[in-house]
Amino acid sequence: MLQPDLVRLLTEGHVLVKSCDEDCLTGNTQEPRQSEGEEGGEGNPFNYTPQLIHLNKDHQLFEDGDIHRHMYLQDLYISEAEDKPTLSVSEFACHISGCSAIFSTLEEYEHHYNSLHRHVCCSCRRSLPSARLLDIHIQEWHDSLFTILSQRQDMYQCLVEGCGQKFSTSKHRKDHLIKIHKYPPDFRFDKTKKDKGNRQTKKQPQKDTTMDVVDDVCESEGVCEVMCDGLSHQPEQEESMETHGSEEEAARMAKSASTEEHADLNAAAPSTESSSSDPLEPRYSYRVPTNVCFGRGSVRGFRGRRGRRK
Amino acid sequence: MWRLNKVHHKAGRPGDSVEELKLKRREHEKALRQARRDRQLVSKRLLLNDDEDQSEVTMDTNSGEQDVVAVLQKLHHSGPERDTHLKALSKALRDPSAQLTFIKQENSMHLLVGLLTGSDATCRLQAVRCLHELSHSPHTSVASACLPASPYLLTYLSGQSTKFTELCLYTLGNLCPESIVKEKLLAQGIVPALASCLENQRHNLAVVEAVGFTLSQLLQANDAAEKIIPMVLASSLPSHLLSVLTPDPKFGLGPAIECAWCIHYLTCSMKDHKVLLAQGALLQCSSLLVSLGGAVAEGNKEEGMELLICPLLRCVGNLLSSCPLTDLSAQMGDVRIVVALCALLQAFLLTQPALARESAWVLNNLTAHSRALCSALLTLNLVPGLIQLLPFSQGINTMILRVLANIAHNKKDFCVHLAHRGLLSALCATLKMADQEMVTLSMDVIFMLVVSSPQVAEEFVKQGGLSLLEATQYNSEGEIRQRATHLLEHHLLS
Repeated sequence: MLQPDLVRLLTEGHVLVKSCDEDCLTGNTQEPRQSEGEEGGEGNPFNYTPQLIHLNKDHQLFEDGDIHRHMYLQDLYISEAEDKPTLSVSEFACHISGCSAIFSTLEEYEHHYNSLHRHVCCSCRRSLPSARLLDIHIQEWHDSLFTILSQRQDMYQCLVEGCGQKFSTSKHRKDHLIKIHKYPPDFRFDKTKKDKGNRQTKKQPQKDTTMDVVDDVCESEGVCEVMCDGLSHQPEQEESMETHGSEEEAARMAKSASTEEHADLNAAAPSTESSSSDPLEPRYSYRVPTNVCFGRGSVRGFRGRRGRRK
Repeated sequence: MWRLNKVHHKAGRPGDSVEELKLKRREHEKALRQARRDRQLVSKRLLLNDDEDQSEVTMDTNSGEQDVVAVLQKLHHSGPERDTHLKALSKALRDPSAQLTFIKQENSMHLLVGLLTGSDATCRLQAVRCLHELSHSPHTSVASACLPASPYLLTYLSGQSTKFTELCLYTLGNLCPESIVKEKLLAQGIVPALASCLENQRHNLAVVEAVGFTLSQLLQANDAAEKIIPMVLASSLPSHLLSVLTPDPKFGLGPAIECAWCIHYLTCSMKDHKVLLAQGALLQCSSLLVSLGGAVAEGNKEEGMELLICPLLRCVGNLLSSCPLTDLSAQMGDVRIVVALCALLQAFLLTQPALARESAWVLNNLTAHSRALCSALLTLNLVPGLIQLLPFSQGINTMILRVLANIAHNKKDFCVHLAHRGLLSALCATLKMADQEMVTLSMDVIFMLVVSSPQVAEEFVKQGGLSLLEATQYNSEGEIRQRATHLLEHHLLS
C-alpha cells in the first residue's frame, strides 16, 4: 500500500463526509482579511487574492495530457513501466541585481551568497569575506574618527584573528603580516585606502534601468570582483583584485542626504580612466537608501543610521 | 474495441529493437506536439477485425494499388463471391496509396455505397469495413470522397448489430475532423443520431465507447464552441455521458475514458456551465475522482487509469471555476476530494508530472473557493505533504504555493497552523528560487503569515527572516524590493 494514511482517510467515509455549509455562511472568502483593519498599513503593496483559474482546451498546462491521450488513440500508448519522464527540480538564483548566478542546490546558493554578498560595505560596495574584515575595513576606510586617532596611536590591527597587535600605519601592518604571518605581499584584503584611487567612478545614474547584468565574475573563485563595473579589468590597477560591489542596491529611495553622500564618494573623476579596456557596463540607477544595508557589520559605516536594528 | 493490453506499437515492425521503438515513439510524440501547437491535433482510430491482430497491419502493402484496381474490376461484375472480393478490397485499402487509387477509379464510391445499402448483410459489413479503411486516410480528398456514404452511416446508427454500428461510428469519427465532412454531418443530424444511439445502446459498452470517440472528435474542433457544443448541450447527450462515467470492471476503461474526454471538451470551451452543473456533472466527476484516488493510494493502479483521471481532473477544475459558491456544497459535498487530489499528486509526481500539475490546479480552484476545504487540508494533516512538493518545478510548485496561499488568505488561524507545519522555513528556501513567480508568491505568503500573529513573526525572525528580507531588498525586481521593504518597515522592525 503506497499511502496508508490517505487510504484510511478515503475509506473512512462516515468521518469525513462533512458538508461545505460553512462556506455559505461566510460568503466571500476575501472579506475577513479586509475587514480586519489596518492589515498592511498604508501603501501596502501586497495584494494576493485567490484565483479561480479556468483553462481552455489549448492551454499549455494541458499539453502533456493531450499528447498522452492522442498517443493512446493512435495505438502508441506506453505504460508507466516503460517510460519514465524526468521530474525537474527548481533551481535557485541569486536575485541581487547585477548578479545572475544560478545554482542547482540551496547549499550552493547559500555558499555563494555568504561568500560574495553578505559582508558588503554600504559605503563603497566592497565585499569582504568575513564580518571581522568588514569591520576593520569600515573602521579604516570610512571612519573619520579612526583617521584622527591613528595619527596619535597605533590603530591598524593585525588581520590575523587572535594576534592582537596594532600598528601605526597600514604599511607596518603589511610588513608584519608578510614577515610574521607569512602572508603574500599582494593579499587581497589589505589594500590601502589611497590605492582605491579611481575605482569609485560611479557614473551619473543611468536613465534607463534595464537589467543588463554583469555576471562575469560571480563564477570566479574566491571573492574577487563581485558584481564589478567595467573598469575593474584594468591590469595596472592594484584594485583589480579588490572586490567591489556595484550599484545593485534597492530602489530609488533617494533622499537628498544620500545624494550628497554619494557625490562625496564619487569624487574621483571618471575621465581619468583613460585606459579603460572594456566599455562601461550600464549600471543601475539606484541610490543606496540610507536606512538599509546588508552588510552586517556596517552599522558603524552608516551615515544616517537605521537605529532600529539590534 | 480497444483493450490496452492488446495494443502493440503501430509504429514498430517485428524485429525492431526496443531502442528503435523508443525513437519512433519519440518522433511521433514530437509530431503530435507540433500539431497541437498548430491547433491541428487530430487522431484517427483503426478498428481491427477480430480475426487479425496488429502485426498484420504492418505487413508489406506495396502491392495495394494494383490489387485495388483488380478487385474493383471483379466487383463490377456482380457475382456470388462479392463478399470475398470486398474482404480483399478492405485489406488492399490498408495501403494509403491504394486509398488514393481507389477514389480515382470511376464509380468506385458509387459501387461501394451500393453494396453498403444492399440486401446482402455480409456485403454490408465488408463494405463498411472498406469505408473504415478509407476513413483512416490522411488525405482530405479521400475523406470528401466518402461523403456520399455519410447519410447511410448515420441511419445505421440506430441499428442493432454491434460490430456494424461500431464500424459506422469509428468511420464517422475518423471523417469528422475534415471541415467539409463535418458541415455535412451536422446538417444531416449527427448530433441527434449520436444522442439516440447512446441512449438506446447504453448497456452495450463497445458501442458506448465508439459513440464517445466520435463525439469527442466533433467536440475537439476549433470552432466547436459556436455551433456544436450548444447543440450537444441541448440534447440528451450530457446526461447519458455522465451516466456511463463509472468504469465497468469487466469491460475496462475504454468507454469511460471516451465519455470523460467528451465532458472535458464541453467544459473547457465554455465559461458558463449551468447545464452541466444542473445535471450533477461536478458531483459525478468528483466522486469518481475520490474512488479512483482511493484505488491509486492503495497501489491498484490499473493500466491506463491516467487516461481517465486526466479528463476528470480537468472537468472538476473547470466546472469549479464557474460554480457559484452557494451551490458548492450541493455539488461537492464530500470533503474527501482534497484527500484524493493529494493522493493523486503523490502517486503521479514521478511518473506523470503533468497529472500532478493538473491535480494541483484543481486543488487551487477548490481552495480558492471554499474555506471548508482549506480547513480540511489542515485538519487532515495534508499540508506537510504539500510542502514537500515545493522543490518541483514545471508548474507544480507554483500551483502548490497558490494552494497554500489560498489557505493562508482565509483566516489568521490558518496562518498559524501553516507556520506550525513548517511552511516558514520552506518559504525561506523558495524565496531564493530562480522562478520569479515562486519568489513573488513566497513574499505574499510570508506577508500573510507574518501579519497573522506576533508569534509567527517572531518565529520568522528566529529563522533568519530579517537578513533574508534585507537581502531581498536588493532583488532585481522592483515589486519584490518594495514588498520586502514594506514588510520590514511596517511589520517586523516597528
